[in-house]
Amino acid sequence: MEPSKHYDIHPFDFDHAGKMSSDVKKTLKQAGLNFDFIKRVSVAAYEAEINIVIHSVGGYADFKMIDNVVYLQFIDYGPGIENIELAMTPGYSTANEISQLNGFGAGMGLINIKNSCDEMSLLSDPNGTVLKLKFIMTEDHYRVD
Amino acid sequence: MKISEIVSKYHCTVYTESIYNPDKEINFGFCADLMSDALMIMNTVRQENILKNTILITGLATNQSIRTAEMLDVQVVILVRGKIPANQVIELASESNIILIGTDHTMFNFSGELYQEGIRGITSKK
Repeated sequence: MEPSKHYDIHPFDFDHAGKMSSDVKKTLKQAGLNFDFIKRVSVAAYEAEINIVIHSVGGYADFKMIDNVVYLQFIDYGPGIENIELAMTPGYSTANEISQLNGFGAGMGLINIKNSCDEMSLLSDPNGTVLKLKFIMTEDHYRVD
Repeated sequence: MKISEIVSKYHCTVYTESIYNPDKEINFGFCADLMSDALMIMNTVRQENILKNTILITGLATNQSIRTAEMLDVQVVILVRGKIPANQVIELASESNIILIGTDHTMFNFSGELYQEGIRGITSKK
């Protein structure tokens, strides 16, 4: 399998939103990892991908798998999260109507991401946002068929 | 309950004919128009065979319902309240191997009917 992959993510492109996460999911499936681990990574990836679609002027994502760790990073070019603490509060949302019509914008995205991963770091200023996620596989994450 | 029984009893339209499996077993359900909720609650389910036999009941007829199901390994999505999906949504569902059906029933009534049939809801496990 490819150890790393790069994806561009376009703002308000709801037709293609989820493509990156879908590809990450397929890559992990091919690697023979178990259902729960794949689901956790896919859900976090999808929420983060949607965040770039909804909130940013555009950005990209990188996927890397080294030994027993999956790394995901999401970088966008702004306008940044004004108040990270507030953004991490359940229910707080700055999403607009179009996003809500697409089933998002409930203010749960970042919390859902945090619950899904093993480590998360979030840096943001008006020039952009960097979200890094780490998922650690344990032995039972390898599927035994 | 087999999906074919759901389709005939509740007058559902099958949108993804090419991948339709009438014998697909449905034992669980989850209702949401907000995909974040579906992602959050169903992400807590650890057993693969539960989500594989779950139906996502939604009024959201966009690609995002299909993507959400895909991320969770949910294989059946039903659009309630007579929502009609665009062709690209049907195509995405077929490509993603997700059976997409639709009914005129409202979310509450359809869910109530399924509950009476023995189908149970997914709840958050922490």
